[in-house]
Amino acid sequence: MLLKITDLSACVAGKEILKGINLEVEAGEVHAIMGPNGSGKSTLAQVLAGREDYEVTGGSVTFEGRDLLALPAEERARAGLFLGFQYPVEIPGVNNVYLLKAALNAKRKAAGEPEVDAYEFLALIKQKMKLMQMSETFLTRGVNEGFSGGEKKRNEVLQMLVLEPKLAILDETDSGLDIDALKVVSMGVNSLRDPRRAVVLVTHYQRLLDYIVPDKVHVLSAGRILKSGDRSLALELERRGYDWVKESQVA
Amino acid sequence: MISPQPHAVSAAQSAALRSFEAQWLARQSALPQLERSSGRDPLSTLREEAIGRFLRLGLPTTRDESWRYTNLRRLAAQSFIDAPRAPAGSVAAADSLDSWDIAERLATVHLANGFAMLPAPMELDSNKLLINNLRDLSRVNPGLVARFLPPLSDADGARWTLLNTALFTDGLYIKVNGKLTAPLVIVHGAAAQGPGTIAYPRVIVDAAPGSNATIIEHHVQRGEWTPLCNSVTQLALGQDAEIEHYRIFATRSGCTHIDSLDLRQQRASRCRQFTIVLGGGLVRASLDAHLNEPGACLDSYSLLVGHEERHVDCVNVATHHAPNTRSRQTARSIASGTSRVIFNSKVVVEAGAVQAESQQSCRGLLLSDSAEIDSRPQLEIHADEVKCAHGATTGRLDPEMLFYMLSRGLDRGTAQSLLIYAFLADVLTGMSLASARAAIEDALIDQLPDSQLLRKFR
Repeated sequence: MLLKITDLSACVAGKEILKGINLEVEAGEVHAIMGPNGSGKSTLAQVLAGREDYEVTGGSVTFEGRDLLALPAEERARAGLFLGFQYPVEIPGVNNVYLLKAALNAKRKAAGEPEVDAYEFLALIKQKMKLMQMSETFLTRGVNEGFSGGEKKRNEVLQMLVLEPKLAILDETDSGLDIDALKVVSMGVNSLRDPRRAVVLVTHYQRLLDYIVPDKVHVLSAGRILKSGDRSLALELERRGYDWVKESQVA
Repeated sequence: MISPQPHAVSAAQSAALRSFEAQWLARQSALPQLERSSGRDPLSTLREEAIGRFLRLGLPTTRDESWRYTNLRRLAAQSFIDAPRAPAGSVAAADSLDSWDIAERLATVHLANGFAMLPAPMELDSNKLLINNLRDLSRVNPGLVARFLPPLSDADGARWTLLNTALFTDGLYIKVNGKLTAPLVIVHGAAAQGPGTIAYPRVIVDAAPGSNATIIEHHVQRGEWTPLCNSVTQLALGQDAEIEHYRIFATRSGCTHIDSLDLRQQRASRCRQFTIVLGGGLVRASLDAHLNEPGACLDSYSLLVGHEERHVDCVNVATHHAPNTRSRQTARSIASGTSRVIFNSKVVVEAGAVQAESQQSCRGLLLSDSAEIDSRPQLEIHADEVKCAHGATTGRLDPEMLFYMLSRGLDRGTAQSLLIYAFLADVLTGMSLASARAAIEDALIDQLPDSQLLRKFR
């Protein structure tokens, strides 16, 4: 089992947002977590990545059998967990390439590997940039500095491709993308699909799932997973809306 | 001849003032008999006026507006003698100057406690640069020296300048006659054998019309003790002249430094000024800029690093006297430990200085709970049709940025250092002299957390 979440609850600013989440992700799988606004999707993603101001109030999370919640954010990343942010922050003055190189070296160092060779790194990043159809000006710019919404999302996927995580959690990576950008981003994510890796897509719309076909779909509402199923659940949700799940729960 | 008027000055200062008066009297009696009797050349007249005013007004206190953040009461209760002419330790010795290696330079001129290590006038760069010591020049051509001293002012912000004007005995006169091919480096070494000494370094830069130069003043400490350093630099830019000036404070924690920079700009001259505080215990660095004629343009950058117990008080005043003048001030302060950094900037647009443009950007970054940063941009506008913008923010490292970097696997220390470094980038990228920037970054990084990791990102 790659990721096992058991009865996880968490508070943000004193308010309980996650109210007992249970989820199991095997290597090789793609999961989609869907749900209405405010259901706790992003909170779950941020809690898994190790955001400190989100307080875990109960439950447990293991990642490859290790207690994930005991690790600080940077160690979770080095262990192979990646969060693609819904709103990637701009960091003027810190170069994109520096950040990516530092990230890759941190991961390699933790794995007992030597630092990446500067030329090899540049070749790698240029290859991945081409895949993501990103302009070379990216190389000289600050992290996400002045990027459009779509460029920021491509940059998240680029980072994921370079870092090759075991588990990628992509938080609304599809939001704000036009159809062409959505295809590019999806292709990037699909290129990482591999029996050793898993992807958790947090999304609002089923549109993304036309391009990245999930193995499992979960519906999150009011801090709980109300329903799980296969891809057909996403299609049914699209047709019948989230209220359908809520009502069927009550019934 | 001259005596303090105790009713005007607090008794708490009497020890310091008496010692300054004694220094003045000692300089007078050291003059050859002939000069004393024939004496009234413009320089002597000016200096006598300066000491008179100073003793009447006394040292500024926290009751004075421009000194409200820096308390010198303990200093004012001491008495001072002149710092030694030949301080302990050879001045030319390589004392930590390696890291400050500005690769290409025309020359390095050393001052020790304000005394120029320059036995004779020096001509460089096909006579486009002339350097003389003020000791000789004051005797040979007092009129020239007097012409470049700022008009005497009773303002509390100019009080230490008044004292320096009265008591400096040496320094440099630098005449720039053309476009220099490399920077000039001035190393101010400070050294004393114990407490209770004071130095009065004085530098005059006379940039002829159309000239162009980069001048770096680097303040360092040699040995355990330093004098109280009361230094003044005068930059006079002729029409179309272009000067990039650096003043870098890199003394140690025991050093008290009061440095005043006076800038006068003529028509269409351009000045880029960098004030970099990386050392010292108490550093007061003021800039008094006068954009006297149309088209004059000033870019001032301040990089103020509060570290451990350091106290940094930076006061910038840019006065627009003429139409179409432009000033831009960029200040980045960081404070860790129990340090305190104050950045006050003021833009004054005089009546008639229409179409003046000014920008003030002051940002502070607090790195500890016990540190303090005060940023205060001010505007005083007496003309119409001006464009003046200002902004000041002070805060901590952005938690969102930090989390983003941690979530990519970076060490907390590395992430913090990168963010600090990024915060300072607006000043660092303003430096057009790459080797100076590299040297400053090197010294800066030493004072940041996790410096070794950060070095790799250069």
